[in-house]
Amino acid sequence: MNLTNTSHPGIHQEDASDHSLIPPCQNACPLHMDIREYVSLVSQGRIMEALQVIRMGNPFPSICAYVCTHPCEESCRRAQVDKPIAIRSLKRFAVEFGGDRMIRTEAETKYSDKVAIVGSGPAGLACAYYVKKIGYPVTILEAHSDLGGMLRVGIPQYRLPREVLDTEIQRLTHMGVEIRTNTRVVSLDLLFELGYKAIFITIGAHQSLRLGIEGEESPGVIDGATFLREVNLGIKPSLGRRVMVAGGGNVAIDAARTAVRLGVKHVSIFYRRTRSEMPADPQELEQALEEGVKIKYLSTPVRIDRENDRLKMTCVRMELGEPDESGRRRPVPIKGSEFTKEFDSLIVAIGQAPQTPSDFGVRIGRGSTIQVDPSTLTTNRTGVFAGGDAVTGPATVTEALAAGRLAASRIDDYLQHRYPLPVKETNEKLSGELLPKTIEMIRKIERSEPLSLVGETRVKDFETVEQVYGWEAAINEARRCLRCGVGVEILFQDKCATCLTCLRVCPYHVPRLDNTGNINIPADQCQACGICVAECPAKAIVLRKPFDRRQVSEELTHTIKLATESKNKPPIIGFCCQYGLFGTGTLSRLWRGAKAGVTIVPVLCVAKVEANHLLSAFETGAEGVFIAGCGEQCARENTTYWVKQRVEKVRKVLRSIGIEPERLQVFTLGTAVADPTEELDRFIEQISALRLSSVIKEEAIS
Amino acid sequence: MIVAEQKSLEEIRRMIAPYPRVLILGCGTCMTVCNAGGESEVSFLHNSLRLAEVRSGDGIHTFTEHTVKRQCDPEFLETLSEKTIDVDVILSLGCGIGVQAIAEYLGDIPVLPGVNTSFMGMTKESGVWDERCAACGECRLEDTGGICPITRCTKGILNGPCAGSKNGKCEANKDVDCAWILIYKRLERLQQLDKMRRYYSPRNFRAIPRPRRILSKVEIATGESDG
Ligand SMILES: Cc1cc2nc3c(=O)[nH]c(=O)nc-3n(C[C@H](O)[C@H](O)[C@H](O)COP(=O)(O)OP(=O)(O)OC[C@H]3O[C@@H](n4cnc5c(N)ncnc54)[C@H](O)[C@@H]3O)c2cc1C
Ligand code: SF4
Ligand code: SF4
Ligand code: SF4
Repeated sequence: MNLTNTSHPGIHQEDASDHSLIPPCQNACPLHMDIREYVSLVSQGRIMEALQVIRMGNPFPSICAYVCTHPCEESCRRAQVDKPIAIRSLKRFAVEFGGDRMIRTEAETKYSDKVAIVGSGPAGLACAYYVKKIGYPVTILEAHSDLGGMLRVGIPQYRLPREVLDTEIQRLTHMGVEIRTNTRVVSLDLLFELGYKAIFITIGAHQSLRLGIEGEESPGVIDGATFLREVNLGIKPSLGRRVMVAGGGNVAIDAARTAVRLGVKHVSIFYRRTRSEMPADPQELEQALEEGVKIKYLSTPVRIDRENDRLKMTCVRMELGEPDESGRRRPVPIKGSEFTKEFDSLIVAIGQAPQTPSDFGVRIGRGSTIQVDPSTLTTNRTGVFAGGDAVTGPATVTEALAAGRLAASRIDDYLQHRYPLPVKETNEKLSGELLPKTIEMIRKIERSEPLSLVGETRVKDFETVEQVYGWEAAINEARRCLRCGVGVEILFQDKCATCLTCLRVCPYHVPRLDNTGNINIPADQCQACGICVAECPAKAIVLRKPFDRRQVSEELTHTIKLATESKNKPPIIGFCCQYGLFGTGTLSRLWRGAKAGVTIVPVLCVAKVEANHLLSAFETGAEGVFIAGCGEQCARENTTYWVKQRVEKVRKVLRSIGIEPERLQVFTLGTAVADPTEELDRFIEQISALRLSSVIKEEAIS
Repeated sequence: MIVAEQKSLEEIRRMIAPYPRVLILGCGTCMTVCNAGGESEVSFLHNSLRLAEVRSGDGIHTFTEHTVKRQCDPEFLETLSEKTIDVDVILSLGCGIGVQAIAEYLGDIPVLPGVNTSFMGMTKESGVWDERCAACGECRLEDTGGICPITRCTKGILNGPCAGSKNGKCEANKDVDCAWILIYKRLERLQQLDKMRRYYSPRNFRAIPRPRRILSKVEIATGESDG
């Protein structure tokens, strides 16, 4: 049999270029991770592969899985329908269930030029990881006794278990990264003298900003960063019974929640603006409230008097005035609104700035940050690079990781005397909002959150608050992804007969007739269901990703090849959806080959199975063919309807060449018969009965 | 648009039986739109025929496939010469015009019709087509509110409705609208009911001089065009 011509004698396979667009989630991620891909793999239950994709874009996914501020979720287009995909939780699921802890990273030393990294926060660690991977000997120099920067001394343990950080650091040691702790670098010249050829400065932003009010020097006043560092290093500062936290960012919230865990009864955050201006993560804020933290908006301390071992705080109420340069409305004190309150301590958490030793000789810019060229991360000194919070001011872990990765490749360019190659983005970015008529048709599915420890239990210790998803919850959450940018396009405009079939069959009203009389399929609306691809009579429409284009045909060819080789023709071939429960859950035995004589062609939604694929399956000699899809539970619309149309079309052919049409069946979840495995069993019985009767017939003839 | 329906697999198999090497030829225009012979149908038919061969066990056929933009214009058929080198027959999924255009263009290879060309019509919804015009050559839609009685009235009468019209449906088929009731309603809406009150004399379709030809250019004597 001619295998190359099995199912698609046609053009689909010819064009191998990837026309998918970069989805907004990926675009928002400082590391530019292929979120859509790993979310899709999770939705198929292919967790190890999901983890592989994650590791390709992120040196320390386990850390991000806990603490990333997930800007991807802020840009996720699913928010236009209901709620964004829980991307970070899915990553955590992949990291834990995919066995990230077991992964070992190897690195070979290929070059002799030594690289020094000053500071071991996420930027430094990431840079060390990549520089080492490229093949340079690398040393991390860290002032503290332990590595990790803010991951160690800033972020509280209930949000990032230290085992996670330790595992990543062990991996670095295993790769051969040299580590020097308790080493505060004061001069770079010394490092050059020691033979380092390139230096990456990532000293973070650890200098807390001050309120600048009278009495701030009093005992009982501590800055947020110092407080968290002390707690993280095992010192338990005594705070008394009533603590005020001044500030409205994540550090303020972390400080307040940490104080609660140290046993402080009354913790109040004073913030000078309102909740809507608060930079803190809303979820963190919510959790703080659950833990009993009180928040007073539009209030700020203006004077501290220490009396009888307590702090008498004079505060003032604020109102919002004109927007300032940050775009937020400036708080203005209301005259005569002063009031006093007594506290045992005050934690000032209103921001940090970098503090660079002057002997480094690097140029310092606004907000005490180190000035660099943003695309090469070079400072004014040759061979000296800088990145992370020290350059940006307080930012995020992923931004620091991205800076570390960029620095590694720039240091490589520098040491190899190469002109830095600009990073080229070949694929276009997906932009544009979903239209109301598209949104209307997209099935609303509630976002599922992983469980959290209950408020009262969690304040007793530093146990991780957010738990990990269960298998089924993760898969269902992942299935909500709209797969933005991987939909279809009319690749062959010259073939399009403007028949309007696509426009008529699309459940989401995506294809559009423009005023020149041409059909367009806007990439920003397409839901990638694939229905129009199979229905276009001119074969003008293709999926944007070559893999998606070929998937069914390739799997089928593979199945056929195996069957031909084994000389053991599969009596039954089933096209089985890979998403959700069919792929992974209760119904996985359908495709795991658990049933004798059933060979499964895994497909990513049955809507992509074309009538031709069904014919090809029969052509291999299959006695029965079935399609098993998610039916009502499919994340896309009308898929079963179109599958049934195609099945009827093929049955007509079968009938006319003397094959019983019952040999082709559709099984779906959520139809009248609850368990499709039972239906399948009956089908198998029926097929063997048909086989028996045809054997008898043949014998009777001969 | 011309609308057709693919012939049954049995009939197609009977037609191609004597010819071992078959080129299935699609048409990218009307036959694509009416789902009878576009590239997708070509490949579906190809697969169906191959399956039939495999199952009958006595297959002698090999199939190739190709689709041109329009079979009814010879310029589009130029690519065919190379596609037909090792071919014994062309199974055309073009309409009757396409089949004839190919026969005219390629004198030596037989051409078989793979579809039954049915009518001129329009798409009602995806997968449903309705007849609308009989190409009578003498259009009367002006008088009938834009509704053709010749195609849409079962009897094709020019002065309807007939006595068999009931509740707006045709006596011949209760699912079909009576064309003349539709005409009446439309004329009423257009306030042109006077057109219903006229008598239209019968037409003699047999008198149509076949084959018809339309000339949209005038004969110019040689020599004149140069000056
Ligand atoms: C309380 C808190 C909570 C946070 N929560 C989050 C969060 O949930 N999600 C998120 O994305 N971001 C969070 N951040 C921000 C994030 O931690 C930082 O943006 C990130 O750690 C910056 O990384 P970095 O490598 O630039 O610097 P850092 O992590 O600050 O590391 C700098 C390191 O350099 C060392 N160092 C400084 N000077 C010297 C010297 N002269 N010689 C040697 N070593 C030196 C320091 O000791 C430190 O270890 C939080 C920050 C804080 C303070
Ligand atoms: S729906 Fe999926 S692909 Fe689209 S932005 Fe959200 S996570 Fe990314
Ligand atoms: S279905 Fe295909 S041929 Fe028809 S309008 Fe859409 S792209 Fe064009
Ligand atoms: S793939 Fe689906 S959603 Fe996209 S245009 Fe086609 S039918 Fe519409």
